[in-house]
Amino acid sequence: MATHDTTEATDSTTGPSKEVVTWKTKLRYFLNSDFVRSSPYWGIPFVLMGIAVYGGIGYNLAISFTDYAGIGRPEFSNLSLEMYRTALADGSFRQAAFQNFVLLVGFTSVSLALGLFLAVLLDYGIRYKETIQTIYLLPMALSFVVTAQVWLWMYSPGNGVLNVFVTALGFGSIDWLGNPRIALAAVIFALVWQFSGYAMVVFLAGLQSLPSDQFEAAKVDGASTAKTYIRIIIPQLKQASVGAAVVLMLFALKAFDFLYAITGDYRPPNGTDILATLMVREAFQYGQWAYGAAIATMLLLLSLSVIAPYLVYQYRQGAL
Amino acid sequence: MGSIQLDHLTKRFGETVAVEDVTLDIADSEFLVLVGPSGCGKSTTLRMLAGLETPTAGDLYIAGEHMNYRVPQNRDIAMVFQDYALYPHMTIHENVRFGLEEEAGYTDSEMDERVEEVAETLGIDDLLDRKPGELSGGQQQRVALGRAIVRDPEVFLMDEPLANLDAKLRAKMRTELQRLQADLDVTTVYVTHNQTEAMTMGDRIAVLNDGQLQQVGEPLELYHEPANQFVAGFIGEPMMNFLHGNRADAGFVGEHIEYPFDERLERAVDGVDDLVLGVRPEAVDVRRADESSAPNLGPHEFEMTVSVTETHGDQNILSLTHAAESVDHDVLRAVTDGMHIVKPGEPVTVAIDPETIHVFDGKTGKTICNRRIETARELTI
Repeated sequence: MATHDTTEATDSTTGPSKEVVTWKTKLRYFLNSDFVRSSPYWGIPFVLMGIAVYGGIGYNLAISFTDYAGIGRPEFSNLSLEMYRTALADGSFRQAAFQNFVLLVGFTSVSLALGLFLAVLLDYGIRYKETIQTIYLLPMALSFVVTAQVWLWMYSPGNGVLNVFVTALGFGSIDWLGNPRIALAAVIFALVWQFSGYAMVVFLAGLQSLPSDQFEAAKVDGASTAKTYIRIIIPQLKQASVGAAVVLMLFALKAFDFLYAITGDYRPPNGTDILATLMVREAFQYGQWAYGAAIATMLLLLSLSVIAPYLVYQYRQGAL
Repeated sequence: MGSIQLDHLTKRFGETVAVEDVTLDIADSEFLVLVGPSGCGKSTTLRMLAGLETPTAGDLYIAGEHMNYRVPQNRDIAMVFQDYALYPHMTIHENVRFGLEEEAGYTDSEMDERVEEVAETLGIDDLLDRKPGELSGGQQQRVALGRAIVRDPEVFLMDEPLANLDAKLRAKMRTELQRLQADLDVTTVYVTHNQTEAMTMGDRIAVLNDGQLQQVGEPLELYHEPANQFVAGFIGEPMMNFLHGNRADAGFVGEHIEYPFDERLERAVDGVDDLVLGVRPEAVDVRRADESSAPNLGPHEFEMTVSVTETHGDQNILSLTHAAESVDHDVLRAVTDGMHIVKPGEPVTVAIDPETIHVFDGKTGKTICNRRIETARELTI
């Protein structure tokens, strides 16, 4: 009987008290976990980013559903997609979107091609390789504004450097930035000048990571240098290309700085209007806040459509 | 006719001489092994044969044609690299097919047929759709071999192809390579630092050291009749015993041993003073020391103590120290039969037959006289 009592007593006391210990322990573990203990460190940027960036994006999205314009406050009572509809119908929006697309694709592909070409040349082994590398990479160190000014002078219709050459060859001086048909190409060219060094560096690193005995094996197998590069080397640069392409595309989307610096006001040269410049113009010059917000959202979607596949690809590769 | 001639071939990299004045003739269908320690110039010589390096001096002929300045693409050779050098982004089928694409006289379907034929020979036909990264080391090595074989070249060049394989696989591949080479009947130049591979695989062995050719000959020729001390020490595992010393009245006086010469050795050594005696471990006779025999040692017998016994199963390798001294280092190594078990610390009587002695010049390393071999009975060279 005595034993019975004690067992029961022990059961009844250890029963519920076991539960109490368990959630307390769990809480303790939680409070001691890396997540919580590091929260002051990531918490602050998280809050700042949350308010400034994501809050801003959210607010922007909200405004785009209203018809906020001019002075006053936005009215969130009547939300609609009207701004988006207007944008898609607007000719200048479509033109800007098209030019944006051309800039994106043109700039990225030319930069990649030129970067690859330069990297292959350098990898092949020429003297003063490091010096040449540095020279090609230097333009990236310049700010967009400086680049814009330099090229403004280069493209100057009267006595810009390019026109000096052109007139010396006997042709008439060309108004590079004034002519809507070639202005975009001129802008792309200037941006390629600034960023192809980056593509070159990425490709060069990729090329140098390839074991040299693959080159040798291909030689012994009878492949010419061209064939070796096309069939063996360049296919192995896929990873590097994708990475470089994504970064270049994001630079292209930031071309606003360059265009703004060329003209110094809200209207870039004819034929070079892109979504970013259109958005700034509509919002800050004409006061069409909601319309500008709608364009901004569409620009965000465009950027996401560039980076999202890359992130998915990386995730699938297990690198994320 | 894939015969090769190296004529006073030299390669310099700036100040360093990697290959110095190497003259060598390789017959058609011969399996020649280039062997030597790291940095001896064997890989450089192979690369000159391949066309991946240009000789600084000398001439190189493959199948009678002068090859010094011909690019690798135009030499009818195939090479197997130490790291296989497979193209990682292509399937095995494409890897093997790559070399065929440059060969004339193959249609697309013929190329595919040939690839499959070679894959079957090497046992990799079920791997054709995989990529190199998915294969084991042994499989990758076979693919590298397949890539070389498929082109049916005049010459195979192999740069330490078995170096990255584990011991069992290496032994297996050694036999397979020999069989393959015999079947295909192609001149093969094989580079290795492993003297076992050299001995077992080559029709002939060329030993290199410091860029210079030490000796060329059949394996047993190098084993029993080395041209100098380096070859004697390099070929043969465990290494030949070397006893340094000087000429004395009766024969030889070394640090630990006095060894009287017989008639053959006396005649050969003549007036040379600085000597090195060489005797192979398997020629050293080891018997358990008998109390009674202690004072009755023969002229070529010595008392020694076993310091270390290495059991190999089929044989035991004994490290022997001189009994009279408490010296740390071992004087001799002997090989005994696997069943003949001697424990460390045991005193033994060691006998070295003068017929088995090699004598080398202490200063130059050249062979003064090699051991006597009874050719009729023991072996044919």
